Amino acid sequence: MTRQLQAVSDFQKATQHYIAGLPLDQGAWLTDHRWSAAMRFSDLGFPDKREEAWRYTSIEGLLEQGFITSDSDSEVVGAEFEQHFLHGPTAGRVVFVDGTFQPALSDTHIPGVRVSNLRTAMETSDLEILKSVGTLSGPGTHGFSALNMATMRDGALIRVGGGSRLDAPIDLISISTSSASGRTMRPRHLIVLERGAEAMLVERYLSLHEGAYFNNLVCEVLLEEGASLIHQRVQQESESAYHLADLHIELQADASYRGVNLAMGGAWSRTMISNCFAAPGASCELHGLYLAGEGQLVDFHLDVDHAVPGCDSRENFRGILHGNGRAVFDGRILVQEQAQKSSAHLSNANLMLSRRAEVDTKPQLEILADDVLCSHGTTVGQIDPQALFYLRSRGLSEERARRLLCLGFASEILEEFRSAGLREHLAGLIQKKIGSEP
Amino acid sequence: MLRIKALRASVDGKEILKGIDLEVRAGEVHAVMGPNGSGKSTLAHVLAGRDGYQVTGGGVDLMGQDLLDLETEERAHQGLFLAMQYPVELPGVNNLTFLRESLNAVRRARGEAEMDAVGFMKLVRQKANDVKLDQKLLKRSVNAGFSGGEKKRNEILQMAVLEPRLAILDETDSGLDIDALRTVADGVNMMRSPDRAMIVVTHYQRLLDYIEPDHLHVLADGRIVRSGGKELAVELEERGYGWLLEEHAA
Repeated sequence: MTRQLQAVSDFQKATQHYIAGLPLDQGAWLTDHRWSAAMRFSDLGFPDKREEAWRYTSIEGLLEQGFITSDSDSEVVGAEFEQHFLHGPTAGRVVFVDGTFQPALSDTHIPGVRVSNLRTAMETSDLEILKSVGTLSGPGTHGFSALNMATMRDGALIRVGGGSRLDAPIDLISISTSSASGRTMRPRHLIVLERGAEAMLVERYLSLHEGAYFNNLVCEVLLEEGASLIHQRVQQESESAYHLADLHIELQADASYRGVNLAMGGAWSRTMISNCFAAPGASCELHGLYLAGEGQLVDFHLDVDHAVPGCDSRENFRGILHGNGRAVFDGRILVQEQAQKSSAHLSNANLMLSRRAEVDTKPQLEILADDVLCSHGTTVGQIDPQALFYLRSRGLSEERARRLLCLGFASEILEEFRSAGLREHLAGLIQKKIGSEP
Repeated sequence: MLRIKALRASVDGKEILKGIDLEVRAGEVHAVMGPNGSGKSTLAHVLAGRDGYQVTGGGVDLMGQDLLDLETEERAHQGLFLAMQYPVELPGVNNLTFLRESLNAVRRARGEAEMDAVGFMKLVRQKANDVKLDQKLLKRSVNAGFSGGEKKRNEILQMAVLEPRLAILDETDSGLDIDALRTVADGVNMMRSPDRAMIVVTHYQRLLDYIEPDHLHVLADGRIVRSGGKELAVELEERGYGWLLEEHAA
């Protein structure tokens, strides 16, 4: 047996063992869900490179790390966290530290919104809240998401009441401290917008240390009829971390989801977004920006399913790669036979700052209906020498000119971050990251 | 101010400039003319330090500095400005941000303090007004989706804001656009000053309807074949410059 296979096997055994040791006395809902997910995990195991969706993204490094120890309650001191909270007006704040909800750091009194956490709901067997958990993800579509449910421990449960309109974002922030080193966290969030509700959510993952840990998260977003969500996601984990995000979106009639994703941290990060149109008239926009530098892999998988007629989807992702950074972009749109009058547009552009960087991009449009408007386009390019000369001829140093051009390339996506303060903060981080490497 | 001596340059091993001598003093406006392929654009680009040109001989002195020794941005810091024939579009790069970075880079190099946001805005509004650039274009991405005339105006705006000591305007073959041509000419006339020199590179005599150069040079096959003053401009206007080329070839 090779070293890698040994690692997979060890990880799998240890995981099964861990699941077997979980308490069974926390009510029927939890027991049912844990066990169906555990069964699912033993059926699926970990994905391997023979599966198309995992062809370009090896998990061997992740398994070799052996993040078997689960998360536990960390000692939490406020001041070091507060500086990371969203500046400017917010509707409320939901804070997790090392995977555990922090009521003292959070502000969950939002008119028209019910905020709770998974752990409390599980401990009190609050079925009213729990009933929607897992309805979109099921017991798991791959080994990791099954593992998330089998071992789920905490997460945010946010339900925006029918007709409520929030005029400022909810700040959902997960911070990892050095206590997370060597551990796996498995947050599981559920966001529900009831009929006609409108909200903005900022969902961020960041780290206060440079240690290695594994964040294996699932987020379910359900928008009821006519609801509208602006979802701004930021992944800035430690550059030694592993981050796997599984985002499931379901849109009822005339619902509107507008999401923007920034992925720039982690040694290995993968975001899987699946969108399901459940009724006509809905629209889904997914925007994303990824940055990968020395030693980093960043991966985005989109799966948009037009199962009903008259829905619009648009995906626009851009990547900046430097050093020996690697990126994978896999954008799949399926327009089913009955989904007439659909519109689906997919675009992916990559800016390579180094010859050693690598991107695998794979747009896939499967169109089975005939009365649709669809397009896709992919580009991989370098900084335009003419543009560089132009800026330098106006006195800008080569380094400054490059940064400005990179930011220019990113700006179309960054503009999707609606809060000016957050957008400028992120632009600063991006400049720093690009400037720090050759 | 600028002294070019026996300058030779090639592109991909092909010699384009075959020994250019040119002296430009402060306060002067020079026009460099000549047919397509005579080396006019190459001369402008070599002076600005664009990659892809190999200088194979001669030298260029700008106010006591060996110009060819400097990086492109250092030339800008020394007061050199090249107005491009085809200004590059920079999607996502805000025009104001670009102008401010550029001005501050040049000011830092000159040992001046960076300009604060308020002072900068005041300056840019004034200059945009002077060059008749629509203020709305300041908030857009640099040149992205601008018309030909708007791009030229934006170049002239940059020149007006940066106040170079030596401005080179490359108009090699854009003479057909009258609006663009007038914009450039107005910019040159506005910026004319005793301590500034300008070189206008053009293919078309038409530009001389709007600009009165102090000196005029005709470039052919990588060499200056004739230099003169206003009288040469008049002669060129009457006879074109075909006769000069024939004379040179003979």
